Amino acid sequence: MGRAAALAIAVLLALALAAPAGLQAQTKDDTVVYALQSDINTWDPPNSVLREAIILGYNVFDHLAARDTKTGTVGPSLALSWKALKDTTWEVKLRKGVKFHDGSPFSARDVKASFDRVLDPEKKMVARGNHSKIKSVEVVDESTVHFQTDGPYPLFAERLTALVMQSEKQIKEKGHEWMQEHPVGTGPYKFVKWDKKQEHLLVRNDEYWGAKPAFKHVRVRIIPETATQIAELISGGVDIIKAVPPDQMDVINKSGQAHTGTSPILRTAILQLDQAGRGGPNPFTDRRVRQAVNLAVDADAVIKHVLNGLGDRVATAINPMAFGFDPSVKPYKQDTARAKKLLAEAGYPNGIDFRFRTGLEVVEPAVLQTDDALAADMVKAGFRPQLNYIGDQTVYTAQVKEGKAGPMFNWSWGYYSIFDADAILFDVFKCGESWSYYCNKDLDELIISGRSTLDPKKRTEIYAKAQRLLFEDAAYVFKWGLRGVWGISNRVNYEAPRDEIDRMWLVTPRKK
Amino acid sequence: MKPYVARQLVQLVVVIIGISMLAFAILHVIGDPVLLLLPQNAGKEEYARYHKLLGLDQPVYVQYWRFASRAIQGDFGKSWYTDTPAFRLVLQRMAPTIYLTLAGLVMALLIALPLGILAALRRHSFVDNLCTMIAVAGQAMPIFWLGIMLIIVFAVRLKALPASGYGTWQHFLMPAFTLGAFLAPLTMRLVRSGVIEIMNMEYIKTARAKGLSERIVVIKHAFRNACIPVITVLGLQFGQLLGGAIVTETVFAWPGVATLAVESIRNQDFPVVQCAVVLLALIIVSVNFIVDMIVGLIDPRIRVGA
Repeated sequence: MGRAAALAIAVLLALALAAPAGLQAQTKDDTVVYALQSDINTWDPPNSVLREAIILGYNVFDHLAARDTKTGTVGPSLALSWKALKDTTWEVKLRKGVKFHDGSPFSARDVKASFDRVLDPEKKMVARGNHSKIKSVEVVDESTVHFQTDGPYPLFAERLTALVMQSEKQIKEKGHEWMQEHPVGTGPYKFVKWDKKQEHLLVRNDEYWGAKPAFKHVRVRIIPETATQIAELISGGVDIIKAVPPDQMDVINKSGQAHTGTSPILRTAILQLDQAGRGGPNPFTDRRVRQAVNLAVDADAVIKHVLNGLGDRVATAINPMAFGFDPSVKPYKQDTARAKKLLAEAGYPNGIDFRFRTGLEVVEPAVLQTDDALAADMVKAGFRPQLNYIGDQTVYTAQVKEGKAGPMFNWSWGYYSIFDADAILFDVFKCGESWSYYCNKDLDELIISGRSTLDPKKRTEIYAKAQRLLFEDAAYVFKWGLRGVWGISNRVNYEAPRDEIDRMWLVTPRKK
Repeated sequence: MKPYVARQLVQLVVVIIGISMLAFAILHVIGDPVLLLLPQNAGKEEYARYHKLLGLDQPVYVQYWRFASRAIQGDFGKSWYTDTPAFRLVLQRMAPTIYLTLAGLVMALLIALPLGILAALRRHSFVDNLCTMIAVAGQAMPIFWLGIMLIIVFAVRLKALPASGYGTWQHFLMPAFTLGAFLAPLTMRLVRSGVIEIMNMEYIKTARAKGLSERIVVIKHAFRNACIPVITVLGLQFGQLLGGAIVTETVFAWPGVATLAVESIRNQDFPVVQCAVVLLALIIVSVNFIVDMIVGLIDPRIRVGA
């Protein structure tokens, strides 16, 4: 037995020594540790569909415009100002004296190179759809750029926050594949290294043109399991985690080592109804039935009791933080008697049986519990929903896209960080779009005119009309705007961000 | 020996081809990968453009032929997800998984061998029953539960080990133990029954008659022969170990190829899935091959084909 055991121990030791040595830890005091549930696929943000890639991109790159975290409005970043010269031409003035992390200066040529790269139809750049309204980008001088758009583009300013500025030198000399793993930006942190699926290391850019970060190092750890993340947060291994499940908030708050921070976010939840009949004839093509189901549910109570208040009731799917939100439209209030009456008027005195598809808990926390509660409310008014759960995100989304998810299914929309009504109306309400189960010519006209004028006053009126229409037509069952929950260590100060972008340069150490 | 080896090699090739075809077919049936590659607000023209760029508008057999003809040269294409060569990705993640499975195997042996032998020598005693209970408990415990429990005890409460991650030998302990606990019960039972069977054999009586001490009888003769079925089963269990590695890797944030494969399936990243499946199949088949060879070497009866 002796020899075998000795051999085994020798093998184990050899393995341990052969395994790569642990990364040199910076001192705890100058490092902020951030946890992600899954690793990003690439450090080239316009080439990634993942929110995490966008978030990390914010820390290493800058955009032409940036959202003010306190007011939520879009303000200058690498661009100092922008104005519409004509309906289809925008002039952008750039900040001077900015350098990339490799020392080369930032100028209009880098802006043109970054946009040209994304807009190229021969390339597989994933973010192309976001910017396809831009026809061309022209360098006027070192710090002036002209954008030609395909028709009026009111989302121009918002979308300036959605493309990182990359170096023309890197694009031309180093090439696409190199850029997937070596980000060179102008941002507050510089990229140091990436151990795939383990962690990323960033270091402060001491030549940054803006506010300098408090922490010298950022360590982004990939921890797929939520329970592990929370364990790490409480044991001091991690400073900031996101997407804390509501039922774990107490664990964190009572630990004495960390606390939770919440913020309303753009993501808005709804129950889509197949008004357009994409899946065939169904009772929800009748407005009275749709109104009945909106009157049957008590969304306020669900927010209060199931979500512990972590939701903001909305009258339609337009989020209160989005441009065009009209607060004068008040949400449906539960009225079971009226719901029953409407159902009977529509020809269903004995109620309706239908499939209520639910799932996507990753995107909308506690959705199974809230949908259960809503279904229970529906039963009281004579509806008989059969809850049908699909656990796989891919399958669920594919069914929705193919028109097979009806007649009622749970859905939410994140607006892609564009704080504008158009960012949800077009994709989720316009007739014929992949994710829309609603078809209303009047609404379509409003949507088109809303995105065809640059005049904010006109747009506000148009979207007010649209919200009234959606409310009175009870297009879908309107639920609430979601709240994001972050877990934050007591050794740092950090505010939960309303656009879900975790800006590591805003984290400061908490004074003891 | 030669025809034996040749046969095994042919089998290896056939299996690999078969698996790659199966993986390919399944991937193409599960759904549209472009749905995951583009943001939801991309619009219809973008979806069409992307389909064409990835070659997904071609018939399946054309796509398979393109894949297979390049794969033989080692070119598994570029990951659709990370836009970097798939082969390099899989290779990078292979090492941590191999380390983990080997460490798990060693752990399993460290648990199973002593317990199994002890149980066999003290058959039907309290010790035997205790070992059996441990075996059953180990088999019944879900890996992810054991893993998370270990984290809570050793990382959160005692702060003795890091909760997750990869790097130092301390990072190895809990995941290796978790995997080992997964494999140990079956191995222990095998060792036990193997040793029992051998202890009843003629040559053991002979050894005792020769006057050898019980200790030498057990270690030199019984244990060595009991190794054969253990090695065979461990080799076969290697595939199971990789399965167990998926859960272990997820719980402990271990940067291995098992989690890469699962993620790539979820992301419908065809090139990476195919590369991972082919390479993993290659490894499992090779391990079985090696086990067959070793057993053939140790036990002449198998080699000669008795």
